[in-house]
Amino acid sequence: MTQVSSVGTYLPCWGSPARRQVGDDEDVLTLAVEAGRAALEGAAGAERVILISRELPLLEGGNSAVLLAGLGLDPELEVSERLGGAPAALDALSSARPRTLVIGADLEPAGAAAVLTSGEGLSVRAATRLTRSLPVRTRDASGAVHDYGDPRLLRERGLLASVAAAGGEKPVAVAGTDRKQALSLCTGTPPELPTLGASAAFFALAALADAGITGTLLGTEQASLTGIVVETGPARVNRREPPARPVPRGKYTPGSEIPISLAAYERAFEAKLRWEAARHPGSDELDFPPRYRVGQDGSLSSDYELVPLPRTGTVYTGVTVHVPVPGLKTPYSLVIVELDEVGVRALVKVTGTEPGTVDIGDRGRMVLRRVAVRSGVPDYGYAFEPEGSMRTADKEAA
Amino acid sequence: MRKVAVVGAGMTPFAEHFALGIKDLLPMAFAECAASVDKGLDKGDIQAAWFGELSTTDGFPSGILADTLGLTDIPVTRVENACATGNDAVRNALFGIASGAFDVALVVGADKVRESASKDTFWEWAGMTRDMAWDYPLGLVAPANFALHVARYLHESPATKEHMAMVAVKNHHHAVKNPKAQLRFDITVEQALNAPTVVAPFGLYDCTPQSDGAAALILAAEEVVDRYTDRPVWIRGVGLGLDRVMHQHKRDMTTFPATVKAAKQALGMAGLTPADVDVAEVHDCFTGVELISYEDLGFAERFGAHKLVEAEATSVGGSLPVNPSGGLKAKGHPPGATGVAQCVELFEQVRGEAANQVDGARIALAHNVGGPTAVSAVTVLEGPGA
Repeated sequence: MTQVSSVGTYLPCWGSPARRQVGDDEDVLTLAVEAGRAALEGAAGAERVILISRELPLLEGGNSAVLLAGLGLDPELEVSERLGGAPAALDALSSARPRTLVIGADLEPAGAAAVLTSGEGLSVRAATRLTRSLPVRTRDASGAVHDYGDPRLLRERGLLASVAAAGGEKPVAVAGTDRKQALSLCTGTPPELPTLGASAAFFALAALADAGITGTLLGTEQASLTGIVVETGPARVNRREPPARPVPRGKYTPGSEIPISLAAYERAFEAKLRWEAARHPGSDELDFPPRYRVGQDGSLSSDYELVPLPRTGTVYTGVTVHVPVPGLKTPYSLVIVELDEVGVRALVKVTGTEPGTVDIGDRGRMVLRRVAVRSGVPDYGYAFEPEGSMRTADKEAA
Repeated sequence: MRKVAVVGAGMTPFAEHFALGIKDLLPMAFAECAASVDKGLDKGDIQAAWFGELSTTDGFPSGILADTLGLTDIPVTRVENACATGNDAVRNALFGIASGAFDVALVVGADKVRESASKDTFWEWAGMTRDMAWDYPLGLVAPANFALHVARYLHESPATKEHMAMVAVKNHHHAVKNPKAQLRFDITVEQALNAPTVVAPFGLYDCTPQSDGAAALILAAEEVVDRYTDRPVWIRGVGLGLDRVMHQHKRDMTTFPATVKAAKQALGMAGLTPADVDVAEVHDCFTGVELISYEDLGFAERFGAHKLVEAEATSVGGSLPVNPSGGLKAKGHPPGATGVAQCVELFEQVRGEAANQVDGARIALAHNVGGPTAVSAVTVLEGPGA
């Protein structure tokens, strides 16, 4: 049995209410960090992390470091990256030890949800599991997708055949299939879920926890399924689910590869992804980015410590780039943000709102995003997300 | 220190010189400069050269200069100080002569911006000016560097986009008479305001074009100046100022402290005040930068720059004409050449020979700011008088 102390969810603001899309600056890692931070909010932290997705960006390594840095967790923690959908997510949860952060993240539709296990909270336990083969959708090592194209075959010989073979009581929620199938399989009205992959299982758990519903939660993917029984107990649900709106229109300008210095990337990584500044001994003034200092007497100060920066602030100045920039989608907005109460400013891109809608004086929070992809390397850093990003008018276009 | 004068000045037109390489532009600028020396110049008189170039087109700049001009027997030093390169090259040559080390020196500035595919130019040039890990990936295009300042300036000061448009109209109008200028056509305030947005708040007409070009000066010590001209243009003051490089470290973005420092040095050395200046070439890579620079140079009170353009004080015919050449905005901006070319324009202005002459101009000031906004160079010139 596993006990869940909190569930965090994240949906990108883009797309339609039923089908969210990632922004240009988001991928599975940034989605996972948003959901993970929502689950960890107010909690004491986690001792291990499991990320389940079929869209991991850094297949040759590097996902874990980004994840731990973005979540503000110790780089010594164990991270396991698992390929999978809703069944894999429920498997990971039902076998998780206490203080494990289990995150599911998906791109199409986009969303992420994370569950933090604990010694107390909402109890869940493994009920059924069946692994069968019906590869109606395949993807090879180069990323090429092949769809067999027979939804009725998938329903009859995949989902329904597996549900019948697995047996057990009727579920109260089904993750990994569309709404119509879920309604036909469930008792009562199952929760509407925004995603279809690994995160769907935890969006379902969040809905059950919110509503206080107990019963079987089924996670399905092609012809495989895992069922868990959700029992009673308190679990905090923290949702970061802004209203959906259309993806801003922009124009991508083709260009050569944008170069990257991985030496510079590596030096900057900790401060850049953990959002930390340098504090030199005997000084209250923070350096961001961190740097060595030379004193009035010429002495070198290089043994600074990294300290967390505030994640809220006010726009000091900002601009919107409209001119085509090779390799980027325009327009985009850049702002200098005065972070709260530390005398530190940051130059960052704007996210979560239409370009050109942020003004001097606007407040917002700093969020981890994929700020660029350079020579094939996703370059993560922080972006400014304005508070109440509900406005749509382009003030500059007026 | 010995007094130093400019005795010759010349430049190529500023343009997209696809047909001319750096090795063509350098001899062209030098030959025009040599031809402007009233009593003639023997190349063998030149004892040292300073060459301002930001890029390294076709090879290492000092060698390219020495080789293309046939000056391989003298020391040549490359100066690279972002957009302040040109006036810093003048400054270094001045000290070389004023110290007594040399009597005659050559200053050249040049750049070939339009040498790579336009789709590559931005990232190549941004790589020279941005922190690779922190700022480079953000897509901080050149106009954005300055727009961050100007957006805040428009927020705090009474100046508006209309005032920026008035600067564009003025500088375009000035360039019409200048045969060396890249954009020789008049525009209206309405055209400027309705132009496509490049980086808000800048529209197309708020921005300098991309240019190629070269400019050259011959500097001589007071003791030998008579050999070259009876109408020397004295370098009265030079200054160079710096500031924090990253925008996020500049506490007040409505001003360029580098300019304030450079101007204070140059005017202090000259024993002059901003009110003594009759004509100025001011770094107007973007129109709003000209407005901010009026204040940093002491031509206007803080947040009072808009009043100068409203009163047309900085137009030719006004009390302090600025950028009679058309400025970077309309004359063009090959960065290494820009500061040297400003001095070419002012050399002609204070000798009464400029294409767009300011009546009675005697004291002239040239100003660059760059890096993108972390270095400034100012040069103060005085004409031979009546």
